[in-house]
Amino acid sequence: MTFFRKLRLARLRQPILLCALVICQGCTSVAPWERGTLAKPEMSITPDPSLTGLRDHIFSSKEGSQGGHGGTGGGCGCN
Amino acid sequence: MKTFLLSALLLLGCSASVYAVQEGSSVPGCPAALPGNNEKLDFGAYKGKVVLVDFWATWCPPCKKSMPFINGLRNERLKDGFEVVAINVDENTEDALRYLEAHPVDYVTAFDASGECPRVFEVKAMPSSYLVDKQGKVRAIHLGYRDEDQDAIRKQVDALLGE
Repeated sequence: MTFFRKLRLARLRQPILLCALVICQGCTSVAPWERGTLAKPEMSITPDPSLTGLRDHIFSSKEGSQGGHGGTGGGCGCN
Repeated sequence: MKTFLLSALLLLGCSASVYAVQEGSSVPGCPAALPGNNEKLDFGAYKGKVVLVDFWATWCPPCKKSMPFINGLRNERLKDGFEVVAINVDENTEDALRYLEAHPVDYVTAFDASGECPRVFEVKAMPSSYLVDKQGKVRAIHLGYRDEDQDAIRKQVDALLGE
């Protein structure tokens, strides 16, 4: 009896975990009129676009590689 | 059968209410507060007028960009029976009051920090404006604002004023 019980529980473990993951996730939809906080400059992924651009440029030049952040140039640091 | 009915009732209870305002539907009431005297906004008071209901917020640049145009249009067509009712949806009403002090407009602005009004109208974008005819029916919905929209809005207002 206990064996069958254990077997059934083992089978249910994955669906229960999946349900728990779906329920516990932190995703939520934000209505258009609720985006006041998201619109604040400090909520931006790159709060200072100029500084980010400059850092990308230096990174591209020093690493001799680019990509992943929209940087341009061939690694010479001249553009 | 009983289980099915119970499940259906439970699902109905959990579902969110849908109020979507569409073209042709009546303008719904909502609990936005008018400035000063705690009065609630009443669209019934505007029956017989063409009304532009404009949802805006201080954090929304296109909303702020549209305000001088809306204000100008309102003042041009006021004598013909056109009115603008703005509903501010800032969570902090003080932000809106500060903005209006610096950039005053001539039309009425109601405040809804709770977001109940945009929920009732089911606002899809910021800014959103609803053009309401003299019978209180929504006749056009504008999502967003670009300067190129001005002619179309002006034409729609004139068409409704001429009805």
